[in-house]
Amino acid sequence: MLSRVVLSAAAAAAPSLKNAALLGPGVLQATRIFHTGQPSLAPVPPLPEHGGKVRFGLIPEEFFQFLYPKTGVTASCELQRKILKGPYVLGTGLILYLLSKEIYVITPETFSAISTIGFLVYIVKKYGASVGEFADKLNEQKIAQLEEVKQASIKQIQDAIDMEKSQQALVQKRHYLFDVQRNNIAMALEVTYRERLHRVYREVKNRLDYHISVQNMMRQKEQEHMINWVEKRVVQSISAQQEKETIAKCIADLKLLAKKAQAQPELGRQ
Amino acid sequence: MNENLFASFITPMILGLPLVTLIVLFPSLLFPTSNRLVNNRFVTLQQWMLQLVSKQMMSIHNPKGQTWTLMLMSLILFIGSTNLLGLLPHSFTPTTQLSMNLGMAIPLWAGAVITGFRNKTKTSLAHFLPQGTPTPLIPMLVIIETISLFIQPMALAVRLTANITAGHLLIHLIGGATLALMSISATTALITFIILILLTILEFAVAMIQAYVFTLLVSLYLHDNT
Repeated sequence: MLSRVVLSAAAAAAPSLKNAALLGPGVLQATRIFHTGQPSLAPVPPLPEHGGKVRFGLIPEEFFQFLYPKTGVTASCELQRKILKGPYVLGTGLILYLLSKEIYVITPETFSAISTIGFLVYIVKKYGASVGEFADKLNEQKIAQLEEVKQASIKQIQDAIDMEKSQQALVQKRHYLFDVQRNNIAMALEVTYRERLHRVYREVKNRLDYHISVQNMMRQKEQEHMINWVEKRVVQSISAQQEKETIAKCIADLKLLAKKAQAQPELGRQ
Repeated sequence: MNENLFASFITPMILGLPLVTLIVLFPSLLFPTSNRLVNNRFVTLQQWMLQLVSKQMMSIHNPKGQTWTLMLMSLILFIGSTNLLGLLPHSFTPTTQLSMNLGMAIPLWAGAVITGFRNKTKTSLAHFLPQGTPTPLIPMLVIIETISLFIQPMALAVRLTANITAGHLLIHLIGGATLALMSISATTALITFIILILLTILEFAVAMIQAYVFTLLVSLYLHDNT
C-alpha cells in the first residue's frame, strides 16, 4: 500500500509519469511472488511419533532442564544425581505462598475443583491407555482396508500377467496345430485324387462293358436267328409224305418198346 | 473471589471488554481439522465420535432433512464442549445464560417449523390435531396443540439453562457446605465431599446428555416437518 503512495507521489512530481502510475500497482502485484512451484501438500510431512514429555500432565520436561543450571540437584549419591529437585521446591514454595497470603482463597470452588480434577485424573489414569489403543486400532483398520485394496489390485494384475505368460507359451506350440492341419489337408487332397481316379476307371469300365455286352447280345441274336432259320428250313424241307412215313415208323417203334417194357417188369419181378 | 452464589454466572468482562466472546469461541479450538488420512489420536477419536453421532442421529431423516446434518452436529459439539468446559474450576459456561440458549433454540425451531409450513403445509397443519380425537374435543385440542407448538422453543432454551445452572449451583453449594463443615467435624465434611464427587460425576453426564437432548429435539422437530 505504501508503494501506491510512493507511486502517486511520483506521479504528482512528474506528470509525464502519470500514465505509468496507472500501471504501477499492476506491475507491483505482478512482481509479487505467488504460487511459485507446486503446492507442497504431498508428501505430507510426517507427524512425530510421541508428544513432548510432561510431568504432572502440565509442565514440560524442558522446564526442569531449564532450571537445572540455576538450582542444581539435591543428590547425595551418583544414582540420585539424575533427579532434579529444583522445580519441585519452587512449586511447593509457590503454592504455600499463594495459600498463606490468601492470594488464592479457599472457597467452595476449591472443593469443586478438587473433585472435578480428581475425577478427571482418575478417568485418564484408568482409561487413558485403552482409549489410545482404540484410536490406534481405528487408524490401523483404515490403513488395512486400503492395503487390502492395494493387495487385491496387485494380485489381479499378477494373475493377468501369469495368464498372459501361459497364453504366450501356448502360442509357441501353435505350430503343432498347423502341422496337423497341413497333414489333414494333404490327406484330403490325396483321397480326392484317388477317388477321382477310381471314378475314371469305373466310367471307362462301364463303357467297355457296354460294348462287350452289345457284342454278346449281337452274337446271341445272330445265333438264335440262324437256328431259327435252319429249323424253319428243315421243317419246310420235310414234305408231307415223309412226315406220314415218319409218324407211322414212330408208332411202330413205340408199340415195340411198349411190349418190351411190359415184358421187362415181369422179368424184373421174377 | 466469589462474593455470592451467583457470581460465577455474570458475563465475564475484562477491563470493560467482553471476554465472553472469546469464551464462546474457545471450544472451536479444541476440534482441530486435519487433511490427513491417518491422524493423531485426538483427531482420530473426534472424527470417530462425530461419525458415530451423525450416523445415529441423521439416519432417520430423508435427504431433505439430512441437509441439516452440519448444523445439528456443530450444535451438539458446541453445547457438549461448552458444558464440559464449564465444569472446570473458575470457568464460565455460556449455556447458563438464557439469552444464549434462546438465541440457539428459537431460530432452529422456527427454521424447522417454517420449512414444514412452506413445503408440506397440509401435513404441518395436520400436526395440530392428533389422530382419533372425538369430535367435541377438536377445538380445545387445536388450541392446546398450538400452545404446545409455541412453547417448544421456550422449553428447549429453559431446559438447557435450568439444568446447567442448577448443576453449577448445587456444586457450589455443596462445596460451600464442605468448606463450612471442615472446621466443625471432619467426618461430615468427608461425607459431603463424597456427595460432591458423586454430583460431579452426575454433572459430567448431564452436560453431555443435555447437549444430546437439545440436538435430538431439534432433529425431531425437523423430522416432523420434512
